Amino acid sequence: MKAAILTDTTKCIGCLECVAACKKENRLEGDIPRAWDEDDGLSARNWTSVVEGSGHEYVRKQCRHCLEPACVSACPVGALHKTDIGAVVYDSDRCMGCRYCMMACPYGIPRYSWDAPVPYVRKCILCYSRIEQGRQPACTEACPAKATIFGDRDELLAEAHRRVAENPGKYGSKVWGEKEAGGASVLMISNQDLSFLTGGRDLSPASLPSHTAAAMEAVPFVFTGVVATMAGVGWIIRRRMELEKDPSHE
Amino acid sequence: MNRVRKLKLALWTGIGMAFAAAVARFLFGLGASTYLTDGNPWGIWIGFDVMSGVALAAGGFVLTATVYVFKLERFHSVVRPAVLTAFLGYVAVAVGLLFDLGLPWNIWHMIVFWNPHSPLFEVGWCVMLYLTVLTLEFFPVPAEEFGALARVRRFLLKFRLPLVIAGIGLSTLHQSSLGSLFLIMPYRLDPLWYSPILPLLFLVSAIALGLMMVAFESHCTAYLYRRKPETAVLADLLGAARWVLAGYLVLRFADLALRGLLSHLFAPSAHTALFWFELTLMAIAPAALLFVSRIRRSRAGQWIAAGLGVSGVVLNRVDVGGLAHIARGGPFYFPSWTEIVISGGIVSASILLFLFMIERFHIWEQRPADPDADPLKLPEFNPVGTTWLGVPAVAAKTAYSLGFVLAAAAGFALLGNLPARSRGIEPAPVHRARGAEKLWIDGNLDGNGVLFPHEDHENREGGKASCVKCHHMNLPRDRNTACAACHRDEYLAADAFRHDWHASPTGGRMACLECHPAGQVRSAATAVRCDHCHKDLVPAGATIQVKHYLAPSYVDAMHRLCIGCHTQKAREKNKPAMAQCAWCHKEKRSVVDADVARGSGAVGRRVVTPPELK
Repeated sequence: MKAAILTDTTKCIGCLECVAACKKENRLEGDIPRAWDEDDGLSARNWTSVVEGSGHEYVRKQCRHCLEPACVSACPVGALHKTDIGAVVYDSDRCMGCRYCMMACPYGIPRYSWDAPVPYVRKCILCYSRIEQGRQPACTEACPAKATIFGDRDELLAEAHRRVAENPGKYGSKVWGEKEAGGASVLMISNQDLSFLTGGRDLSPASLPSHTAAAMEAVPFVFTGVVATMAGVGWIIRRRMELEKDPSHE
Repeated sequence: MNRVRKLKLALWTGIGMAFAAAVARFLFGLGASTYLTDGNPWGIWIGFDVMSGVALAAGGFVLTATVYVFKLERFHSVVRPAVLTAFLGYVAVAVGLLFDLGLPWNIWHMIVFWNPHSPLFEVGWCVMLYLTVLTLEFFPVPAEEFGALARVRRFLLKFRLPLVIAGIGLSTLHQSSLGSLFLIMPYRLDPLWYSPILPLLFLVSAIALGLMMVAFESHCTAYLYRRKPETAVLADLLGAARWVLAGYLVLRFADLALRGLLSHLFAPSAHTALFWFELTLMAIAPAALLFVSRIRRSRAGQWIAAGLGVSGVVLNRVDVGGLAHIARGGPFYFPSWTEIVISGGIVSASILLFLFMIERFHIWEQRPADPDADPLKLPEFNPVGTTWLGVPAVAAKTAYSLGFVLAAAAGFALLGNLPARSRGIEPAPVHRARGAEKLWIDGNLDGNGVLFPHEDHENREGGKASCVKCHHMNLPRDRNTACAACHRDEYLAADAFRHDWHASPTGGRMACLECHPAGQVRSAATAVRCDHCHKDLVPAGATIQVKHYLAPSYVDAMHRLCIGCHTQKAREKNKPAMAQCAWCHKEKRSVVDADVARGSGAVGRRVVTPPELK
């Protein structure tokens, strides 16, 4: 099973039960806004939040658990990885605090515990231990309006398309998270444009790790090429100079 | 005091301030000592120290390639300072990184935990390896002074060419992969800077910078120590630099043209202005100056052209590292004084080490000496210096120490409010309630809302003194409290059965087996139902039956009881109003007819004043 969440913003009533359930499940304490917080309510202490969208609708923000996550590809020590069930999880024992994952995420999801002398990256982990026990994430369980539901990604994708097809006037034609940046495990349907979640720009279907892959794959060849060229050029020049100094060799 | 001593005093003062800020950084954490935010997790320590530090060190691999591989021996006089600059540049990068990393003691994780997909992993490894190569390359220079190290020196010199070639390979890789670092952020970096050939652009500009940095440095030390700069040699180096810069300009504009962004170059925006300023500073102006033969061969011309180019490339790295990122809302980032002071301190320490090295070891052809240290110079009578700073031989050292200590003291004095900032709390203005006395709240925009009587809430909570309960005046950037923060029972199911009370000797005094059948798992599912004992709990013939011990939430209880029947009857009797909220809620006027709201244009706003209350 590929775990996934489908959030239907038209059903969300903004009660914040998902936020409360998340805080309880993950033992996140503290509600005081901090100077370094973004305005979207996400922080090291809030792994999910409900924001007001462009059409004053409620949109739940959380880690999208991309199919090809930029953060996982960016982390130099492999502290982030995508588990078999689909959750993108964080290993604080490996992290060295470079915050490249925060820079790489197109949705701007990972947050940092700036106040701690020993700070860590914090984000939604899809309650992967609950899923492994056969339960669903705390947020989807808590939702009273069934606006955010848990299930298999293929089934939820089909459900999302079914809802969109049944009510084409209500929803836009798009299922958010189906294709953008390689696709995500957290899908969204809405009657509004949700591109504000990515800074107002539409993500192309190309996954973000594919942008760096070409450069990284070239590394061994570039190194060998440069070293071989330099050694060759150096040898030729040295040989020529020796011959010039000592014409008897000719 | 002469120029060198004045500069050294300033540098020691800078290090003193940085010392205080560094203590704060490690004692109180990043939140207290920086203005970094969740939206801007990289500040000047990455954008300036790391990005520019690596670029400024490019002279090392460019000059060693020129002299040891291409055998252009006339540049031999500037290769040692170039390697020294590279070495110190990388040390500065490593130190800067230790300040920036949240968990600097884990920096060795890069050696054991590998992620070869990450450009930062590659940068890290190349920096580590290249720093080792540079140490081995540079070590023979100080070793000249120590007879005991002669054998080590001779041994290392045998491997100079392989070391130089390895250094070129490593530099090529990570100068370029510093650009690859940003390939993963197409939605963060402005399109004028984001390009698939960013790695190539970084490499080419680093080569140009390496050449210009050597010239810049030569002229700076010439000015400081009243030394004769290697103007003729530098003219040839800068002659090469102008072609590299011209190539860079061609690459940059060809790339923009291919991506169809040429029209963006004249759009009126801050980023466009920054782009032109940066490009003029780093490439257009220096290249134009250096193509004029007379400027290229003159001392002042070289200094100005190289200075412009160096600051331009540094600006380019800072732009890519942060300035040219697209703002996404949230707090604005400007470095805190501690960040600036630590950056300055790292630069100061590098310059001081550089000055120490060139005074102590054979870096330039002629070792420059501190003019005041000349033993044949007659001492001047200096009432302040001699009285307060001691005899001329130690006056300079006393001044440096005083500068350091006083600056550190000033720094510590400025740290006063940092512990408070570590909690991240900032003062924020409070505004009045933006709605009317009665608000119509329609969260999911389905046209069915509830009335929020502000005055009633205020009276119930204790009058004017109770505002803070919802409007959290002490919480910055908190707009108001969501309904659910208080009305938790609206949606949460409650446990109606008190198990502990039933089992306790002072309460129900019931044995386990009275409810849980013997031999079965003791759970709610297998236990007897409430009406087993409580015969009168549900009247005979009632449609509602006790199903479990969890009482449904208030909303669910009401709705599940009524809505099913209402929907059915509404359809049967063809009376749609029966299924609408207002059918039941009208006597409390807590719901406004959706049609009235729609007609008034109120739909589409989450919180509005209902039309008939205006």
